[in-house]
Amino acid sequence: MSAFLPLPVLASAAAHCQPVSLGDWRNLLAVIWDFLSLSLFSLGGGNTLLSEYHQMAVDQYCWLNSRQFADLYAIAEAAPGPSSMLVGLLGMGAAIREGPLWGLVSGVGAEVAILLPSTVVMVVASISWNRWRDSAWRVAFERGLGPITLGILFAVGLKILRISDHDTPAYAVSAVVCVLMLRSRIPPLWFMAVAALLGGLGLVNR
Amino acid sequence: MGAPPSHRELFLGMQQVALSSFGGGLSAWSERIVVEERRWLNQAEFLTGLTVARLFPGPNQVNMAVYIGSRFHGLSGALIAIAGLLLIPFSLLLLLGLAYYQLHMLPAVDRLLAGVITASAGMAISMGFKLVGAYSRDPMALLLAAVSFLAMTVFHVRLIPLVLVLGPLAMAWYWPRQR
Repeated sequence: MSAFLPLPVLASAAAHCQPVSLGDWRNLLAVIWDFLSLSLFSLGGGNTLLSEYHQMAVDQYCWLNSRQFADLYAIAEAAPGPSSMLVGLLGMGAAIREGPLWGLVSGVGAEVAILLPSTVVMVVASISWNRWRDSAWRVAFERGLGPITLGILFAVGLKILRISDHDTPAYAVSAVVCVLMLRSRIPPLWFMAVAALLGGLGLVNR
Repeated sequence: MGAPPSHRELFLGMQQVALSSFGGGLSAWSERIVVEERRWLNQAEFLTGLTVARLFPGPNQVNMAVYIGSRFHGLSGALIAIAGLLLIPFSLLLLLGLAYYQLHMLPAVDRLLAGVITASAGMAISMGFKLVGAYSRDPMALLLAAVSFLAMTVFHVRLIPLVLVLGPLAMAWYWPRQR
């Protein structure tokens, strides 16, 4: 357990602000409430929440620095399964200072909190869909929220780009990946693998 | 159509979806297993499920599991389907997370991740471009998108107030009119 501590880089992450400890139950409740309330705003498959996660984990609660946030986002994208499981990694970061076991508990807790409200709404929606598939509310919701989601996705993309890339080669790789994502059917894992290689060879830095 | 699946079958079926899609293409695998192999839903029902899953808040694949599970066993079916879908990938991700928090100071790990994040940033920025074509003939949609983009990037408006203010205005504008 104690071999996990202290983590020098995590310690330096706290240089600009003090990481909020979940040992105090009021902090714990505040964090759980944040995830629960964000759940119902995960439009567009959940990617709209990325900049809120950054705001929480880096600026508000100081569990991570921007660089670590970018790392975790990349890991969640590369790993199999829905990339929205990033929340588990952020939750883990919130408690990893207390040891790996607390990291795991916190990670599972964060994931449950972010999924619970949207799941309950989705259950109700699935069961009663036939009743209001043609209702004006459904039509207006779908048409109205779509463009807002679009704008948020651009803002989120820009934010991720800003915290990830810091030199010209890095921006170039991102631009190429973006174009290939839109124009080719190459599985995303390949982009990750090639980019990891470029990083390993020292061709892209940060 | 086959017999309605038990909780156990739901769990195992969603686990099969999760395992098959290691490497990508979750939605396609989900369709193959749920529609073609196990015959829990027909094609039309599956497509309706995708529509509902995308419309409502929550990760699309998780919402799809909820749609499938709740159809047969309500809330408990939904929860068991999510568990089947996420158990193995989420456990794996948590292990990766532990490894990351332990090893990220190593220069080699840092260099590899410095590469990977450039690709993931490219993928993040592609999300908006993927959708923008659908709205290119609708000036009001583009205006709403531009306002939300500027509100977040320039004025640092948080997500929840943004959606709570702009959402109802947009819904009013797009409210279906009687013909």
